[in-house]
Amino acid sequence: MTAVNTEGAAATAAAPDPDEAQRAIEYCYEQGWSDGLPLVPVSKPLLDAFLATTGKDPDEIIGALEQVGRDVNVRTAAINAAMAGCKPEYFPVVLAAFEALMRERAARGGGFQSTSGPSPLIVVNGPVRKELGFNTAGGAFGPGFRPNATIPRAVGLIVRNAFGIHPHVLEQATQGLPGRWQVCIAENEEESPWEPFAENGGVTGGVSAVSATLTRTMEFVDNRHTPNHEDVLRDIEDTVNRMGSLIFPQTSVALVLCPEHAQMFAAAGLSKADVQNWMINKCGHTGREFKLAGKENVPRKPDGTFATDEEFHRILSAPQQVPVIVAGAKNAAISMVVRIFGEWSGSSVPVGEKK
Amino acid sequence: MPNAILDPTGTVTNSAAKPAAPRAPRLASLDGKRVGLLINTKQNARPFLDEVGRLLEDRYGVTVTKRTKLNFAVPEPENVIKELVAENDVIITGVGDCGSCSAAATADGVVLEAAGVPVAAIITDSFIPTADAMAALRGAPGYKYATTAHPVAVLTEDKVKERAAQVLDDLVALLVEPATAPNTKDEA
Repeated sequence: MTAVNTEGAAATAAAPDPDEAQRAIEYCYEQGWSDGLPLVPVSKPLLDAFLATTGKDPDEIIGALEQVGRDVNVRTAAINAAMAGCKPEYFPVVLAAFEALMRERAARGGGFQSTSGPSPLIVVNGPVRKELGFNTAGGAFGPGFRPNATIPRAVGLIVRNAFGIHPHVLEQATQGLPGRWQVCIAENEEESPWEPFAENGGVTGGVSAVSATLTRTMEFVDNRHTPNHEDVLRDIEDTVNRMGSLIFPQTSVALVLCPEHAQMFAAAGLSKADVQNWMINKCGHTGREFKLAGKENVPRKPDGTFATDEEFHRILSAPQQVPVIVAGAKNAAISMVVRIFGEWSGSSVPVGEKK
Repeated sequence: MPNAILDPTGTVTNSAAKPAAPRAPRLASLDGKRVGLLINTKQNARPFLDEVGRLLEDRYGVTVTKRTKLNFAVPEPENVIKELVAENDVIITGVGDCGSCSAAATADGVVLEAAGVPVAAIITDSFIPTADAMAALRGAPGYKYATTAHPVAVLTEDKVKERAAQVLDDLVALLVEPATAPNTKDEA
């Protein structure tokens, strides 16, 4: 029972010392470890609690950036996850998210150093969502929920501290993007009409799994008044088609559909593949349209030539370039088009259990 | 005794501390030498280095060979480095005009220098901090390279040639004795 004294301070026998906590937080800032927000100072007992959640050896290397000569082991990842505010029991999800991300060619290459300043999109599936208290409903892109908020932050701190990629030095983001190191979606499997996203990444049987890719930004499609699912598909297609994001002959976009849109498509008999094929078949521009934006070298064809003025150049060609995820509340028909940096690896990582 | 606050950088346990990378001996002159152009595929990198090669052929009678980087974002693999070292007396690489490719250009430079070949890397001036950081990580703090004004990718063909001509003396100074510092920045 907490008693409140006349000065408004909470006083209990076990209340921690705020002045000591503040000194520890400032110490972490002074070491250059922070992403700008306060960090949880990590002690050996806290580290041990993290390491106890995984069967992995603390010395196991779980990722490397060869170009900067740095790698990260389980122990260092755990320190960063604890600093980010994760609970120990989140750590297997952090490890799975990091493994999924490091399967991306762009993440192993220069992605974290890039002027594009990409950010991970992490997607969690399976029972771990409920067990750890992930938000699976409204406000899917955050904030407000500890696992969703701290797990992507842990990944960002690993990149900063273990890989040594600091802003203005080895990290050269021109503008970056809102929500960098902050997006971890727990798919709304309960209201999705389709298979869990992890199955598209090869993890079946409803086991807990994490998928990840790098993204450059996102844009909403608010379409809540038409009864015609094709109207909605055309509206999403228009957003996918944005010329500004096109820099290579092919692009990739994740469609994070709200339950209402997903259910509307499913009721019309559409599978995820049907939604993907709509985008693959419809999205693109003529050579003239590229030229008008000064991007005539973008629509390069497999034979090395470029789309002519009249020729329609498709910007998507495979389902893997259009991952479809269901997230958010069933309270309005608002979906998100997420621009992927590079291409999703197409593989999900099961959440490991302690041996 | 309270618990210590743990360090999240892992630098104690991994291989970040590299031994100092040796710099290749400079050439007495470029006359008749073999010049390798390592083109990083960024917009205008090819015409830029083509023009550098043409000017060096005219001025020093060099033999130019051209090679395209496998991936602009990361340093070249060991087998490519070996071939570059075997086939060239000096190497010119660029144009580092982005976060990863500017760092990769200096990393290639440091590795090739350690293998005995003088290198002149070309970086746009927006990326001096990241090029310097990468050189230091690779054991070559203060590594010298040439800079040209950012941006290069939007320049017309004529302007690219102008830039190549402007940077040429700096490139030569990086490759032959006495080595002078073409960087506009201080060495410190």
